[in-house]
Amino acid sequence: MKRYFYNIWETITTLMIGLGVTFGHLLRIRKGNVTLQYPEERWPQPQREIGFNLDRYNVIRSRLHVDIDDCIGCLQCSRACPVDCIKIEFVKVDKGLDIGTTSNDTKKRLLVTRFDIDMTECCFCNLCTYPCPEDCIYMTGGPNSRKHPIDYEYSTYDRSDLIFRFSNVDPDQVARLTGQNELKVGGK
Amino acid sequence: MGVNKTEEMVLNIGPQHPSTHGVLRLKVQTDGEIVTSVTPVIGYLHRCFEKHCENITYQQVIPFVDRCDYIASMNNDFGYVLAVEKLLGIEVPEKVEYIRVIMAEMNRIASHLLALGTFGLDVGAFTPFLYMFRDRERILDLFELTCGARLLYNYMWVGGLSHDIPVGFVEKTYEFLDYFEPQIDEYNNILTFNKIFIERTADVGILPVDVAINFGVTGPNLRGSGLRWDLRKDETYSIYDRFDFNVPVGQGIKGSVGDSWDRYWVRVEEMRECVKIIRQALDMMPRDGDVKAAVPKRIRPPQGAIYSRSETPRGELGFYILSDGKPKPFRLKMRSPAFTALSVLSEISQGWMISDVLAILGSLDIVLGEIDR
Repeated sequence: MKRYFYNIWETITTLMIGLGVTFGHLLRIRKGNVTLQYPEERWPQPQREIGFNLDRYNVIRSRLHVDIDDCIGCLQCSRACPVDCIKIEFVKVDKGLDIGTTSNDTKKRLLVTRFDIDMTECCFCNLCTYPCPEDCIYMTGGPNSRKHPIDYEYSTYDRSDLIFRFSNVDPDQVARLTGQNELKVGGK
Repeated sequence: MGVNKTEEMVLNIGPQHPSTHGVLRLKVQTDGEIVTSVTPVIGYLHRCFEKHCENITYQQVIPFVDRCDYIASMNNDFGYVLAVEKLLGIEVPEKVEYIRVIMAEMNRIASHLLALGTFGLDVGAFTPFLYMFRDRERILDLFELTCGARLLYNYMWVGGLSHDIPVGFVEKTYEFLDYFEPQIDEYNNILTFNKIFIERTADVGILPVDVAINFGVTGPNLRGSGLRWDLRKDETYSIYDRFDFNVPVGQGIKGSVGDSWDRYWVRVEEMRECVKIIRQALDMMPRDGDVKAAVPKRIRPPQGAIYSRSETPRGELGFYILSDGKPKPFRLKMRSPAFTALSVLSEISQGWMISDVLAILGSLDIVLGEIDR
């Protein structure tokens, strides 16, 4: 009998305590405590100070970017990728021909004819950006993102729009630079 | 009741069911509403993790390890890099050790918050779920600040970390801890000591300690049964021996030892211990140092085998790595704690009602990504 009434008492008190907590939250509604109205409002991206080079940049795992003019076709990013979503092909340029230098003053020896990144396969591990000797591949917010406006969403209506083709070499240029019609194509 | 026995019926719960915490199918044999046997059917999320690891380098395994226990990726990474470092025989810098411990314990809090929230959701409490997800969000924000990712971090590397902690991280973490500690009391008020919640969970699904040991159950589920076994204390790895913390065990406060409420309570208490560890680690952490100093250029371990285990929020995570001297593991075996936790479900849920089975499943805190691998 005593137990019966004790149970009722306990139920009422613990329910009241719980309701007190929720009521306290009702009184303390403030910005950030309620649902964000997404397209109009956005969650602020964390501003991150990295500490080196005195550059202020965000590390956001979003889209991969490639500065194709700086790419030397070393395949390091493609080898580092665990899911093989970076496809690179290149042709060897005849000796003596100058196809330019990178931002780090490295002479380019290979003409990158294909540099495709399939962002639908990408697992956003960021492993490809570290071995790049020219810092030309980076995630949004990476060290080179000063050059580009930062947009974090990159959503598209079509899956095929997520395959990014970075190479800007046309076949005529390849034939001219290699001096032959038959291409020595290498790559992964 | 034995007189009123009806024809037994097979009830399928899942694979698409919110209470199965992923793609798990439970074949439940029922006699009326009483469950006579439960058979978990797993494999819907099988991704050939172990076989796949044989074709990728040691560094490339880490994103896949992330995706095993996707609720506590940092802890999974921690277990894996400890195994590879043991195989390579490299020492990591002090600062890296401290950051790793801080990240692992923060992720333990995040994981427990998700476990407790969804457990409450399973037994019908919606509000605590929202509160806990709100606080988990703050931890994820800190992770995003650190490494740019919110769920699958790839933060711990063999021999180091992918990034140093950003400027202001320590202050923000202190701020979070100050905010979070009173929140635990709030969860207790709204959910833990709620009479309805206690009625649903206390004395339900009692896991005796001998059954737990026989099935190889580890982590909070084993500690909920009353055995004080925590690898951080009992088989200290990394720098856990430097911190002062307790290992909470289930004492049967509301029912008997080893019931669902005890497993829940152990997780609540463990969050307090995590806060304690993080505070000590932040105080003791050296402020400068290169986090990539010990990262090897090329990971090529000598021939040999290693078994290394660590304590994740779900229990003992083990990695057995067999190396043949090549840059890819010859064989990698993962001992997943959630798998053993699921295997004990059929043992302890007999004789309970269907809604109790879901409560027991929720209290075991399984992650299907890790069970199926």
